[in-house]
Amino acid sequence: MDDFFFSLLLAGISVGAVYALIALGLNLTFWTTKTLNFGQGSLMMLCAMLTVFISSQGLAITLAVVGSLAVVAALGVFIERWTVRPALESSGGSMGWVVSTLGFGIFLQGMAAKYFGSQAVAFPDVVFTAQDFVTVFGQYISLQYLVVLAVAVALILAFELFIRRTVWGQAVHAVSLDPELALVQGIPVRRLILGSFMLSSILAGVAGVLIAQIGGTVDPAFGFDLVLLGFVAAVLGGMGSSLGALAGGLLVGVISKLVGGYVSTAAEHGIAFALLMLALAVRPQGLFGRPEVSKA
Amino acid sequence: MLELRDLSVHYGAVRALEGVSFQAAPGGITAILGANGAGKSSLMRAVSGIAPVVAGQVLLDGQDITALPPPARARLGVAHAMEGRRLFRQLTVEDNLRLAWSFGARREKLAASLAEVYARFPILETKARTAAGLLSGGQQQMLILSCTTIRNPRFLLLDEPSLGLAPIIVQQIYGFITDYAAKSGIVVIIAEQMAALALKVSRQGMVLRRGRVVLAGAGEELLRGRDGTTLAASYL
Repeated sequence: MDDFFFSLLLAGISVGAVYALIALGLNLTFWTTKTLNFGQGSLMMLCAMLTVFISSQGLAITLAVVGSLAVVAALGVFIERWTVRPALESSGGSMGWVVSTLGFGIFLQGMAAKYFGSQAVAFPDVVFTAQDFVTVFGQYISLQYLVVLAVAVALILAFELFIRRTVWGQAVHAVSLDPELALVQGIPVRRLILGSFMLSSILAGVAGVLIAQIGGTVDPAFGFDLVLLGFVAAVLGGMGSSLGALAGGLLVGVISKLVGGYVSTAAEHGIAFALLMLALAVRPQGLFGRPEVSKA
Repeated sequence: MLELRDLSVHYGAVRALEGVSFQAAPGGITAILGANGAGKSSLMRAVSGIAPVVAGQVLLDGQDITALPPPARARLGVAHAMEGRRLFRQLTVEDNLRLAWSFGARREKLAASLAEVYARFPILETKARTAAGLLSGGQQQMLILSCTTIRNPRFLLLDEPSLGLAPIIVQQIYGFITDYAAKSGIVVIIAEQMAALALKVSRQGMVLRRGRVVLAGAGEELLRGRDGTTLAASYL
């Protein structure tokens, strides 16, 4: 196997795992409310920018990450309360949340540009530096890539276990199937919805920090196209499926890196959307999506 | 004791209930009768908290719950089997039961509660791993009843438990409801279009027509007719 191919593959898997995290966050709010927070990209950016800012004030980098995640989690609650809920409560199940979540994201982006400046800033090393690597079968593998991959996969697995094995996971599933029945059965649907937005924002924040770690810099525009790639991953894998999010994320990551390496980096993102169109035409329920089954 | 005071439910311009008052005491079944669209389901939905109440009050044992959200009411012991055989259709039979138990009163361990359900309806044990949406209508109704009773409710609301079922199954379902009501001594309310069926097992009944109470009294009395007003007439 030649080195160039291998390094592209590894880079693809690492960023793919992060796309999977974003997709997982999108899935989460989709389960509880059938909405997606398109402001996720800005939350990724904000979390990374805040981490840079807080650590530049002299705080330990891990504390900076935790603090930023807390801010982003609070914003998740705000987004649910002030952008999603009003849109859902307005007449007749409107799609207003698409615009309101996106709009709030753009607002955050603008605020970040105003207060942190619109230049890219260097992102500090969280665990390893860009120079750390291990050698496997004569290939250099960046430890940063491995950490990103490990964190993403661990979070996805923990998530899948939570949904499948715990009663709260079951409750989330129940809300996605029939919110009214869930309410009547005593499931605290409102709290689950708030929790889903909070957790979804935290996942976005983690994804932001991980991507910034790979890329080395962040700027206010960062994250905007990443959330679209996460969306492609979610649809490709099957909206609402955690394993689908992982598979979709890896697929998008690897294919876009390979195309970027062998064809042109300009085609990197374009190919992801070509994949989306192909998936919607051939298998609209996604790789792991289940078509609805029921007997009347 | 479940009490409604002057309760009105409106869906926009549609007036589903207008000034309905009634009381249902524990230890007996109350039948709510009426044609399609008379307001039976709206009444139940108002009690469990998913109907837009515009005026009046719902009281459980004297406590006004009109402003409480549905999960809080469920915690106070309201269990509502909604019309249209509502179940989590993609979840298995056992998952449906486990969820209902988890957010219910949990007086016994899950295993004991499940064993009780399976002893009563063995077919549910056979189908424990089947998606609820794939059960027959009768089996779904058995599962729904089990999901409401596994929660150890104090106020049981059953919306058209006989709808679309074969007579033999209806008999079995009603047998279960009557036994459960007698054994548990809780408030049980059944909405039915098949008046005779529900009145036979009920202590009291009332007839709704276009959102208003047109007839109320003891079950026997309603069945025989009273003051020249027959049950049939109130449906017309």
